[in-house]
Amino acid sequence: MDTISTNVTPVGAPSRLTARVTALPTPDKALLKLLFGAALLALVLGLAGGFVTALARARALSLFPDDAYRILTLHGVSVFFYWLYLIQAALLLVLAAAENGRGLALRPLAWLGAALMLAGFGFSEWVSTTGTPLLYDGSPELAADDPRSVGFFALGYLLLSGGLVASAASGIATVLQPRLRGEADAFTSIGFALFAWAGFLVVSAIAATNAFLPGVLWALGAGPFPADHGTEWHILFHNLHYLPLMATVLVWYVLTEHLTGVTSIHGARMSKIVFAAYLVFVPPTSLYHMFLEPNLSEGVRVVGSLLSLFVSVPTLAAFAIIVSSLEASARARGATGLFGWMRGLPWDNPAMANMGWAVVNMMVGITFAFVLIQEKLAPMLSDTFFVPGYFHFFAVGVLTQTFLAALMVILPALGGGTLWRPTVLRRMPVLVTVGLLVFGAAGIAAGFMGVPRRVFDVSYGGMAPAAWPVLMALVGVGATVFAVAISVTVYGVVRSLLSRCAPVAVEAPVVDWRAGARGVGAAPAWTGPASVAALVAAMYVFTIVAFQLIQSLPIIAIGGGHGH
Amino acid sequence: MKMNEELWLVVAIAAVWAVLAAVYAFVPSLGMPGYVRVWGGGAVLFLVLAWVLAAVGRKAHRG
Repeated sequence: MDTISTNVTPVGAPSRLTARVTALPTPDKALLKLLFGAALLALVLGLAGGFVTALARARALSLFPDDAYRILTLHGVSVFFYWLYLIQAALLLVLAAAENGRGLALRPLAWLGAALMLAGFGFSEWVSTTGTPLLYDGSPELAADDPRSVGFFALGYLLLSGGLVASAASGIATVLQPRLRGEADAFTSIGFALFAWAGFLVVSAIAATNAFLPGVLWALGAGPFPADHGTEWHILFHNLHYLPLMATVLVWYVLTEHLTGVTSIHGARMSKIVFAAYLVFVPPTSLYHMFLEPNLSEGVRVVGSLLSLFVSVPTLAAFAIIVSSLEASARARGATGLFGWMRGLPWDNPAMANMGWAVVNMMVGITFAFVLIQEKLAPMLSDTFFVPGYFHFFAVGVLTQTFLAALMVILPALGGGTLWRPTVLRRMPVLVTVGLLVFGAAGIAAGFMGVPRRVFDVSYGGMAPAAWPVLMALVGVGATVFAVAISVTVYGVVRSLLSRCAPVAVEAPVVDWRAGARGVGAAPAWTGPASVAALVAAMYVFTIVAFQLIQSLPIIAIGGGHGH
Repeated sequence: MKMNEELWLVVAIAAVWAVLAAVYAFVPSLGMPGYVRVWGGGAVLFLVLAWVLAAVGRKAHRG
């Protein structure tokens, strides 16, 4: 078999990423610390809200309905919007600045973006605490008699959107700098991904403006009641499915190179095509959100079903590229065994552990995501606890763990000293995953049995099936486990951010794959493709199980256009 | 990958978004004007980004 040149950084070589982050100008470091700190604050607020919500769903806490919905609103707003988008803005800027090697371009615009996002954060948290609880989608129908709450809530998201646009513009200008200086005639694969991701952030801001500007205008008396909010929310929500996943895959690329020294064996061109594929597949796959419309024609349902199959193609392609590059590089240096080659990865590093377990969570989450978007199942499952049951694998297991992994690498390099207790932090992802498996298994089973989401008292006067409270208690147990484990990780990351220790020289912890170099490609690397095949098989199995379970229930449900 | 290939990837993105915006605009039964605004806005944005890439390439080439 032919071999190709290897892509492993020599042992002992300094990390390009951490060296460049350490060398950033002081104003850029200050901006990045501000954004990372605000993102972590949003995560802490969201974690607290989510933990209380889970305890209330498990009946371990008794809340008045208004309080329960207020806490659920704070949970969703804090985590789904401000944690995920503040951290994305910060990661875009820091990775773009590292790619440039000389800090941020259009720095005042980046600061303006941060100011707008933080103002939005303040508005959203304030109105969610004091106004009518609108849940994270800010539905005006819940407060038709309270335009003030609708207007301020929508204003918070509009400020966030404006901040994302300003940050993205700075990010785009920054990654173009090496070419403007004549130092490069093409992007690296990471540079192109940052360029495309920044564009996607701007499009998501357009979608958010489309969804929330009518609410502000109505509150000001300058427009009609936003009766179409549900539809406009779906458009934004569709973008928000892809955007953090694209960011996650990009972070996996960056961390893989940083932690192992391995870059793609398939070349930069393939990586750029995969990152472009995220954006190519976004609009065509949006049709499946319309499955909840009862009057949708059969033709559109068929087309939507076919197109929905492409939803995960870019993520799985990127996963296969990363895993096959790692496996081929490991086998070229003597690693053996079906999965034994993975032992050489730097699992002692908490960032590696977070990333590895994030991949496991992604496989579980994607399996059930495909069950949910089946045309026949979507109307029956979208308003049940199936939805939070599966999407926490993504929101917590994949996205949050991946972004925390990035912080474990970047914050010490920003001048925050060393990472707090790596031996403790590297054990947390296993606990997070165990908690998510309990939460997800109970929640998905509860969804199949018809337990509604967003309803805190599901006893229905004692008429509910006996299994419901048991399953919801398990949801509470699982949530407690993963909330505690994530809290420990967040504590460690915050300690790193607040540490006043002098920065230490960081060497890339390159894997020890030096022995027996045979050249990449001499031994086949099947783990990536085999994992994707196993995933497809699991999707089929769980779809069949879902159909059989639901057909065995004595109910028929027709969706009402809920925003999942 | 050279400049032109990156440029064409961005143009391809803009083209797909523009086609979808047109589908939502010209198939009234879909009844989703918001999709026209967002996908259309995205198509314009990626065309602008393609123009930026081309302009930067020209400037670097001259330099």
